[in-house]
Amino acid sequence: MSFSQVMRDDFPEGMPRPGPLAALRERIRHIEQPRSHGVLPFGVAAIDRALPGGGLALGAVHEILGQGGDEEDGAAACGFIAGLLARFRPGPVLWCLKRPDLYGPGLLAHGLDPARLVVLAAPRDEDILWAVEEGLCAPGLVAVVGEIGRLSLVAGRRLQLAAEHSGVTAFLLRRWRNSEEAARERERPSAAVTRWRIAAIPARDIDDPRLRHLIGTPRWWVELLRCRGGVPAKWEVEVADATGHVRLSPELAGRPAAAQRLAAEPRLRFG
Amino acid sequence: MTASGGRRLLAALNPAAIKAGLAPGMPLPDALSFVPGLMTVPADPAADTAALTRLAEWCSRYSPWTAPDFQAGGDSDGVKIEITGSAHLWGGEAALVADLSRRLSRQNIAHRLAVASTLGIAWALARHAADAGAPALPAPEDERAALAPLPVEALRLDLDTVQGLRRVGLRHVGELYPMPRDALARRFGDAVARRLDQAFGDLPEPLSPLGETPSRRVRLSFAEPIADPADLARAIERLVEDLAARLAREGMGARRLALGFHRIDSRVEHIRLGTARPSRDPRHLAKLFAAKLDTVDPGLGVEDMILAVFAADPLPPEQLVSHFRDPPPQAGEDVRRTSGGQVGASSDIAFLLDRLGNRFGLDAISHIEPRQSHIPERASIFVPINGSPHPPAARAPGLPPPLAGEGLQFATGEANSLSRLASIKSSPASGGGSPRRSRGQVGASAKPPRPVRLFRPPEPIEAQWVLPDDPPFRFTWRRRQHRVRHADGPERIAEEWWIEGDAAADPRGSGDHIRDYYRVEDEEGRRFWLYRDGLPGDPPPRWFVHGLFA
Repeated sequence: MSFSQVMRDDFPEGMPRPGPLAALRERIRHIEQPRSHGVLPFGVAAIDRALPGGGLALGAVHEILGQGGDEEDGAAACGFIAGLLARFRPGPVLWCLKRPDLYGPGLLAHGLDPARLVVLAAPRDEDILWAVEEGLCAPGLVAVVGEIGRLSLVAGRRLQLAAEHSGVTAFLLRRWRNSEEAARERERPSAAVTRWRIAAIPARDIDDPRLRHLIGTPRWWVELLRCRGGVPAKWEVEVADATGHVRLSPELAGRPAAAQRLAAEPRLRFG
Repeated sequence: MTASGGRRLLAALNPAAIKAGLAPGMPLPDALSFVPGLMTVPADPAADTAALTRLAEWCSRYSPWTAPDFQAGGDSDGVKIEITGSAHLWGGEAALVADLSRRLSRQNIAHRLAVASTLGIAWALARHAADAGAPALPAPEDERAALAPLPVEALRLDLDTVQGLRRVGLRHVGELYPMPRDALARRFGDAVARRLDQAFGDLPEPLSPLGETPSRRVRLSFAEPIADPADLARAIERLVEDLAARLAREGMGARRLALGFHRIDSRVEHIRLGTARPSRDPRHLAKLFAAKLDTVDPGLGVEDMILAVFAADPLPPEQLVSHFRDPPPQAGEDVRRTSGGQVGASSDIAFLLDRLGNRFGLDAISHIEPRQSHIPERASIFVPINGSPHPPAARAPGLPPPLAGEGLQFATGEANSLSRLASIKSSPASGGGSPRRSRGQVGASAKPPRPVRLFRPPEPIEAQWVLPDDPPFRFTWRRRQHRVRHADGPERIAEEWWIEGDAAADPRGSGDHIRDYYRVEDEEGRRFWLYRDGLPGDPPPRWFVHGLFA
């Protein structure tokens, strides 16, 4: 709504003309709550409660980080994104990466059919950024994933605007070359609507003592670091299953120490 | 001036020097005695060749069938242009020649021009009949007569043959006309007869153009040369619209295009494009060209732009739906807009692929496709969208192709609506041998788990184990140590012995291509896919991390 429209004289009889202040308020409200393309609920009440709208915002940019050694490989983040994409509406997904280590059968284990992916291999962060932006301008896509290291705040805002305009959801899987770059870059401010950190944590203990040496149900420590319109939170979940759903991990008997240690100092695991 | 055998000789001269009595081949000291103030520069044959090639490229504004003409003599290099199909665009042969002459004069290139029905006659007339400012354009019926008074050198014969002819008193081409061909051949070899036949059109002499021959061309000439990028962009839009209209009439879409910018200094710059699917959408093509416009240097100005199509495919009308989105509004602008709807979603993707492909190359865009293989790195590969599969580094020549007609699908799962693959009920599980499941997994599913990340090639690690058959209890990867708390496995994957020359990622070639895979979890919870390469024993087998689980 522009001022000129407000100042027109064609309001119905008897209705007080809204003043310029009201128009400005309306405009600010419009900017603060950009057009919504809907949400994708996690199906887990604890997580959906923490997100505005009751789920992951579509037509927006979300950042997913790893932890420790996974900041270079982005394996847990990859599985997390695969689980989410599995539950999007059917449609193609553009996945931009610098290292071609994506593996189809692994994605399928979390519910994502690799046949939906168009994979772009590009050498540098600037190329990934360009490709993600191009993908966000193609409304035929369901989502775009960019495995990107360095990203400036201005570029992130541009991506967010493009996502809002087209309705394509963007996942920025932050992946760095080494721990030095990670230390430099992970603290930078970002323009993403939500910012997550996914870390793999030891699987649930198996009750049968004879099978204790096996891996149980794998789990993630999911942290919502930043959420526009919400508050940060953390959950312990079972990894996305073959339908893409995560589940809250039930209370553990006999292994509280590990979970508490992680909750206290999640950053100091790799020296 | 060239150097030859320690002496310096004159290679080429300008008209003034010729008038002063100098001739090519004259030694430099003699020349200097004739003309004391003579200016010389060293000859640079490579640069001359390059310059002539550039000039020929520029001449392609008249016709795509253009090529430089190099003769051993060097002195009579030229450019040959086939103008049969394009003379009418300039208002006739005479007008075309006049235009060419004017532009060459503007670039200070001395030239002699001739037009004839065959390359042989044109060549001869240009060098021996035409003069600067007086091109030779005989009428077709006068061509033989025009050729007759020319010296025999005009037949493109080598020096020995020419001298042989002259010795016998044959100095003009006309004298050769009545002679029987076989007599000429016996005496002077095949060349004379061949050149005569070529000149008369009895022996075809096709012109191999410089560069590929386009199937369609549209040209835009400017009265004033333009250099401003905005003007160039507008000209591109005009050209693609013309081309699109033409392609629409034919029901075709372009796959490979090139846009030539002909500058006034007779250099030509190009932008080359490829599309993943045939396209005649003017906005899409214009945007693809505009993305590369900054690689073009217009110099002092561009006088012609020629858009050529080198490859085109049929494109029926209903596939063409342009759903080009306007750029997102600036912050603060109204974000109200109507939704575009579902139609044209696939053309959006095609446009996106074109833009990505033109920046990164179509090889960089791929799909993940399953393959019928037990070897993990072969069971799923990246296949570029333009067709040629890019197998991983260790590809054996006998790699199994996808099953014809059926297609494969990854593990279980229903076919996705956008899946290009038909589904079959099961896909091969692991193992050339039977997987040892005595230490199976809790909640065993039908398929063994696979990681989300797979390293190509697998990364070697140092592992320590208690018993040779056990998974390691500690391993070092990328200089970090990991203590293993839990492990699943082993899953045995053997080489595919039925494939010839199978290397199965084992460069040792020992024939012992067995991998025992373990899924291990370290003390922090990260889950790795390790394998032991080779059977336990002596020498100790090597360990690798092949991938990471989520």
